[in-house]
Amino acid sequence: MIDPALKIDRLVKRYGDFTAVDGISFEVARGAFFGLLGPNGAGKTTTINAIVGLAHITSGAISLFGHDVVRDWRAARRRVGLAPQEYNFDRYLNIRDVLIYQAGYYGLRGAEVARRADALLERFDLSSKAKQPYTRLSGGMKRRLSLARALIHEPPLVILDEPTAGVDVELRLELWALLRELNRSGTTIILTTHYLEEAEELCDRIGIIQHGRLVALEETKQLVGQRSLQDVFLELTAR
Amino acid sequence: MTNNLVGFETLVKREMVRTFSIINQVIWPPVIQTLLYVFIFGLALGSRIKNVQGVSYAQFLIPGLIVMQVIDQTYSEGSSSVFQGRFMNSIQELLIAPMSALEIVLGYVVAGAVRAVFIALLITILGVVFVHIAPASWALYVLTIGLIAVLFSALGIIVGLLAEKFDHIAVLTTFFITPLVFVGGVFTSASLLPPIARKISFFNPMYHMVAAFRFSYTGQSDVPLGISLAVVAILAAVAFGVALRMTAAGVKLRT
Repeated sequence: MIDPALKIDRLVKRYGDFTAVDGISFEVARGAFFGLLGPNGAGKTTTINAIVGLAHITSGAISLFGHDVVRDWRAARRRVGLAPQEYNFDRYLNIRDVLIYQAGYYGLRGAEVARRADALLERFDLSSKAKQPYTRLSGGMKRRLSLARALIHEPPLVILDEPTAGVDVELRLELWALLRELNRSGTTIILTTHYLEEAEELCDRIGIIQHGRLVALEETKQLVGQRSLQDVFLELTAR
Repeated sequence: MTNNLVGFETLVKREMVRTFSIINQVIWPPVIQTLLYVFIFGLALGSRIKNVQGVSYAQFLIPGLIVMQVIDQTYSEGSSSVFQGRFMNSIQELLIAPMSALEIVLGYVVAGAVRAVFIALLITILGVVFVHIAPASWALYVLTIGLIAVLFSALGIIVGLLAEKFDHIAVLTTFFITPLVFVGGVFTSASLLPPIARKISFFNPMYHMVAAFRFSYTGQSDVPLGISLAVVAILAAVAFGVALRMTAAGVKLRT
């Protein structure tokens, strides 16, 4: 049996008395485009942080492609790329070096990494900015750079935490096209977003979190049915 | 894969890029300050002081000034790099990568040591040019600077992890490092101090750092070299261990 891209088993994350994630379990199949939705503070980012190692797990287990993120953390981390919600680029590096150094942290270097960096800059229309610091990029370019950085080590799973937050409609459509292309090429994608039409448009399966618990987990078409995702979302997350 | 040597090397290289991006903040101030100390205290006022440990006062000053600048720059750069990484979240690039706590801490510490040796060598050149003194034992020179760099890089990591604002980083410098360095034998030999002050100096770790390093120049010390080296080595090991433990536990790094 082939291991899923992501398997979360009864994940609990507590901060003192506050339970941010309360025993959620779900799997994401290889090659899927999965949407993780929920209102602010529902536990989406905490779940993502637990997957990538930015949050300690209180109890439960997470595995990526069969590799436990705690016991087999090196293998697990090699298989995932993260484009976080907030820009966190290294301010001392130019844009090309942001990619090259990130690859280095993943144990990669040499001509192949340089080729990958140049190809990603070309693909995300950033080649003309390669030698500039990220502070000179527009918001949309920073979003694209964030995605390029998540891909530099060619992970089979990419997690995008609100990748289109604060970008205009034109750029959002452009990013959608890039994400579809990425998914078609075989990369599993996990997306969190507050734009429900974005999730409905892109994701083949959706999980909705509310108060740290999974309140829905279905194929997008089945979840939505004859209604809109917004109606379903509001019904499931009503306080 | 059992370790990530490339990741470690990349972090060292990144720290060097950072250092040379802010060269006017990291490299030139210790050089300029040393020149001023040498001219004012060493050559102007020092001409009225007779030989100390067999060398002129200006020559006596050089190793102490090297230690002082290495301590200052290694600590401030180590702490500000880690704190800034936390503040800007850019340290997450390391935390989500397949890098162990040891590889991360070693990366910062080795970069600190390289920076320290570079600064020390620049000041050493000043010593050769202006006061005509060079180290007699390069092995002891590198060993002592290396141990001091490990100690203060690790302290920088610890404070960089604990600090909530840049002001917190200055606490250690202002209230501990600078006073202890100034009374740690940079400007005077312990033999010139009153007996009670001499005894107190023995418990000042900076005194042992200066004494061990000065030995690499003069071949003399007010305290046995082995004791001074042991003090510095033990402190460096403890600080490295604490920094490693904090990083492995994800203190203020992982929620």
